[in-house]
Amino acid sequence: MTTPTDSTLGERFTGHGAEWRDSNLSPTEAATATSWVEQKIDKRSMLTNKDRVEDVRDIMWQLEKEGEIVVHRVSEEHEPVMVKTLYGWDKKIPTTQLWHHKSCGQCGNIPGYPASLLWLMNELDIEYLDETDQTSCTAWNYHGSGIGNIESLAAVFLRNFHQAYVSAKAQGLPESYYYPLVHCGTSFGNYKEVRSYLMHSAKLRERTKQILGKLGRLVDGKLLIPEEVVHYSEWLHVMRGKIAERQIIDASEVRATIHPACHVYKMVPEDAIYDDDILEGNRVAVSTGLIEALGAQVIDYKTWYDCCGFGFRHIISEREFTRSFAIDRKIKVAVEEANADMMIGHDTGCITTLDKNQWIGKAAGKGYDLPVLADCQFAALVCGAHPYKIVQSHWHASSTETLMEKLGIDWQAKKAEFEAYLKQIEAGGEQENLYDPRRMITSGPGFKGIRIEHQT
Amino acid sequence: MTTATTTRVQTFIGDPISEETPVPRAELEEIFADIQADFRYDHELNGCLNCGICTATCPAAHYYDFSPREIVQLLWTENLEGIYDAMQEKIWACAQCYTCAARCPFGNSPGGLIMLMREAAIKHGMESAKNVLRPFSRVMLKLISTGNQLSPDMITADHFADWGPNVSKIDAPLALLRKAIPMPTLNTTKTAWEVNLKTSVELYTIWEATGVLDQLETIDENLFDVITDIMDEKREDWEDFLEEDEDENDDD
Repeated sequence: MTTPTDSTLGERFTGHGAEWRDSNLSPTEAATATSWVEQKIDKRSMLTNKDRVEDVRDIMWQLEKEGEIVVHRVSEEHEPVMVKTLYGWDKKIPTTQLWHHKSCGQCGNIPGYPASLLWLMNELDIEYLDETDQTSCTAWNYHGSGIGNIESLAAVFLRNFHQAYVSAKAQGLPESYYYPLVHCGTSFGNYKEVRSYLMHSAKLRERTKQILGKLGRLVDGKLLIPEEVVHYSEWLHVMRGKIAERQIIDASEVRATIHPACHVYKMVPEDAIYDDDILEGNRVAVSTGLIEALGAQVIDYKTWYDCCGFGFRHIISEREFTRSFAIDRKIKVAVEEANADMMIGHDTGCITTLDKNQWIGKAAGKGYDLPVLADCQFAALVCGAHPYKIVQSHWHASSTETLMEKLGIDWQAKKAEFEAYLKQIEAGGEQENLYDPRRMITSGPGFKGIRIEHQT
Repeated sequence: MTTATTTRVQTFIGDPISEETPVPRAELEEIFADIQADFRYDHELNGCLNCGICTATCPAAHYYDFSPREIVQLLWTENLEGIYDAMQEKIWACAQCYTCAARCPFGNSPGGLIMLMREAAIKHGMESAKNVLRPFSRVMLKLISTGNQLSPDMITADHFADWGPNVSKIDAPLALLRKAIPMPTLNTTKTAWEVNLKTSVELYTIWEATGVLDQLETIDENLFDVITDIMDEKREDWEDFLEEDEDENDDD
């Protein structure tokens, strides 16, 4: 009997049942077969061959017309930019007056990720609010454990987005002033999925309405639904030209691989942005568009479609899977096939997984050391952000220093500056903040209302 | 005479030749009914021709005895014994990337169906679910009691020894490093960001109203006790704040 093993690749395939047989193709035959497959399937069309695709926003507008929900609109004051999604539909991306829906993994583990985003917004004079009245989306826990359910996910979504809607009142500004910008890819995918289920299920709307009513979080007695669920990478995408105008460090010698995040473009794929001018429209446009605009060389690689190996539960308790997948399917390919100087991502779990899991590879003779950063961290770096104070590169396990050297950044001098800054804080000196700390509490203990003048 | 090795199916379902099964038919039917009762079921299962695109593209299938095609087939053919068997181990292999869902020509979501099966495994208090989730309890404790799923103090070299010797490349106390993050909401160590007390209390209402605390009690009674104690304390703090606030307003 033939065992399901290809000795030339050293891979063993499982999960196909006892009837599985090796095809025993020669290397040439295998290459021919693979190239045929790549011509056919390594394309955007692989995602668009569906019969039953609907734009859930059509149901949303109908429900609003029937008086059942209120839609939080992306209005002119949010200075929206239109983009095209997978099927060529329009999506409105707000560019200012943004409410930061933070990511627990980014804030807890990669703090330079949100800090770089806010720094870029300061550079571009964008209005925003970063406040304490928000929860995680709770979807990491749900996908990892199964604790939670569609009602809890929906109630959390509606609560947090309602808070975004009313948050400006604490500054004496009107409701709907700020529009939510979601930082985490899993939150983004989860919220879009939940919005879709809310549009389809009257029962789910009824149940969540009772909960939101109890919390005092209905608008005119109705559920509040966002017109668009927007990921921060989409904001970067539409702002990439303006960001590139502020670039002060040449990135043309940098070879970049992009890791597109599953929950950003495989969950509710019809809402992901595609652009025919970005890798011929065959890859999700976010991050790739930005890195190209910054002049770096984006290198395609054969496992671009694979996940990172995060697995939600696996990163905690099945780490052999996570690190093996991250190293063998992503990092190894990026280094050996793409000869990359860095890997860029746009989601919390991916950056963590791909960055942190390289160190252990040394134990298996796979001592790769590929810098892994979020798109906004790289953009901030080449626009002159401090590598430690803003980009917070010291939290990264991979060798961000080699990337900085390639970019001509004297990271040792910057590190010394940061260490001096730490001493200053330790001695009770002033902290450098990206915004007025008084703005972060909008109600409850510690709230001290401050009035913000409308800038427009 | 030698005794045949017990297979997993025999362990969980019983000997297929014997008429006696350790799991009563009624229980198998009840579990399947729970999976089907979720309104997402019909949205995520539309048919299956066994094409296997889902398994071909599945990361977990590379490393585990796991196939999303098999899961879909078990549900599509209403193979109750097979479903029960898959719920012991296989459903926990899925990495929840939804690559299968994006690629399925039928618009199925094997990853989504697996979530319905995980929820059912928890509802029925399956030992396998309890065992699998034990190492995940730190995340559940943090999330349910604070509203944050991850905090800086959870990332230590001891807990993540395979990530290398240093959590930060700059050697300084965690609290100091966190103070040096230029977002005031992030100057925390026990939560990823500072969470408003009102926010936590609102979240507790959501947990109670949606049955999440019941799920938790089924899967880990001790963790449930710890979390409900924390919830009680925070609710008292909130009541105290409201009273003080009212007094201050009266004084004004």
